[in-house]
Amino acid sequence: MTLFIFTGDMLVMLFMVVVVVWVFWKSSDDTIKKSAEIPLKDEVREDEHAV
Amino acid sequence: MKILSSGTYSDRLVSYSVIFSLIWSILGMAAGVYVALELVIPTIDFGQEWLSYGRLRTLHTNAVIFGFGVTALMGTAFYSVQRTCHVELFSPRLAWFCIIAWQFTVLLGGLSLLAGWNAGKEYAELEWPIDILIAVIWVCFGIVFFGTIAKRKVKPIYVSNWFYGALIIVIAMLHIVNSLAIPVTISKSYSLFAGAQDAVVQWWYGHNAVGFLLTGGFLGMLYYFLPKQADRPIWSYRLSIIAFWAFTYSYIWAGPHHLHYNAIPDWVQTLGMVMSIILLAPSWATMVNAVMTVSGAPQKLKTDHSLKFIVLALAFYGLATFEGPMMAIKSVNAVSHFTDWTIGHVHSGALGWNALITFGTFYFLVPRLFNTQLYSKRLADIHFWLAISGTMLYILAMWGAGISQGLLWLSLGDLGELSYGFREIMASMQPYYILRVIAGLVFLSGAVVMIYNFFRTIAGRKTATVQIPAPSTASEQQVTV
Repeated sequence: MTLFIFTGDMLVMLFMVVVVVWVFWKSSDDTIKKSAEIPLKDEVREDEHAV
Repeated sequence: MKILSSGTYSDRLVSYSVIFSLIWSILGMAAGVYVALELVIPTIDFGQEWLSYGRLRTLHTNAVIFGFGVTALMGTAFYSVQRTCHVELFSPRLAWFCIIAWQFTVLLGGLSLLAGWNAGKEYAELEWPIDILIAVIWVCFGIVFFGTIAKRKVKPIYVSNWFYGALIIVIAMLHIVNSLAIPVTISKSYSLFAGAQDAVVQWWYGHNAVGFLLTGGFLGMLYYFLPKQADRPIWSYRLSIIAFWAFTYSYIWAGPHHLHYNAIPDWVQTLGMVMSIILLAPSWATMVNAVMTVSGAPQKLKTDHSLKFIVLALAFYGLATFEGPMMAIKSVNAVSHFTDWTIGHVHSGALGWNALITFGTFYFLVPRLFNTQLYSKRLADIHFWLAISGTMLYILAMWGAGISQGLLWLSLGDLGELSYGFREIMASMQPYYILRVIAGLVFLSGAVVMIYNFFRTIAGRKTATVQIPAPSTASEQQVTV
């Protein structure tokens, strides 16, 4: 059972390593920056007197 | 200068969801204070079954989680998904149906609990007719949310939508599987699972409801409203994506830590413990990411009420997500399980994280939705200090009670007999339970102050019309993340 849990944990680690590599490999700094700024440019207010 | 736009957002239903959520917060918290008082003065049920601890406690948890919490999540998900996609909601009518039908369902559920209908599963007490209503509304919620994402004009799916999406998909899966039952009458059903399997399925549901609703859903709220209010992008967008996948992949395994030393295989318990400890990494990755985002706007933190609540919520999020994995370690759990330490842990998350981040979000949303200023910043300050005082007092009282209970129950005499009886230990808890009532009253009074402040803010006003930016901004270019 210890071996089973160890194998499972290693698979979790492998999955996370793949995610980290994929995120850094597939995305440029520019695309990441644009994605992060989405909430900052998402509405047009004509009468924004208070907020 | 004329600003280009392409339609308007569906914000009126968001305004209503905020109001409904606030009503449930008061009802749910008042029920919580009452049951806390019943543990000090048991006779205040006046011999009425519907006022008994067993019925009112479930009403409390259902009202705050499904009434206050889920209504807030639905409203904020609808608010943020249309903005991060630069489109109006997919089928606003269906979104209205979700908001209104959800209120009736929670109300019906609350009344059924008072009437004594109870499926006997924690956080899944509602009986099968109400379970079916929940499933139908949840599917509609998913159709509106994913329909909006499908017609988006911004190519990247912003990280808050990943968390809200996980909330919708995972909660649907958990609710449907855990609620599988054989109905006997309109008010009674029996679970399709039996014995140890039933316990494992129940805590697979229970812990992941905590994970994907009370943690993941509110992280969706955090990832949208924190950058919005701090007026700066999230510190590391890459880290947010990694944290999402780590969170999603680890959380689903952690449920068995609720069943340590119970009649389930030992390796299942150990797996639950190990995965719970691993969870610390994605939880704190998000906390670090959020704290670093705020650290770039220190001046705003001094004066902005919304941001103050959100940052305080982050502190309690960090505390609760550290305490949880520690309590999942079997040797620690031997002391903490079946004690009030667990209640303290739950409330450091529920009051400190869920309620405070929702309050912070509402302090942001209410003036914006009605295009006005907050009625009183002084009242918001008072609410802030009542909220932090109530939460701290509650947690400290339950830590004192829980650790005392655990150690006293484990105390053995020279011959190996129990040193203290159950009744004797519970009688010694009275001071802690009185402190808990005071803490609950302090926190509840803060919420009342906030609602009065909001009432004066929006009285006589209508929801503002906000236009969607025209499809020419930088974020609408082709991006592949």
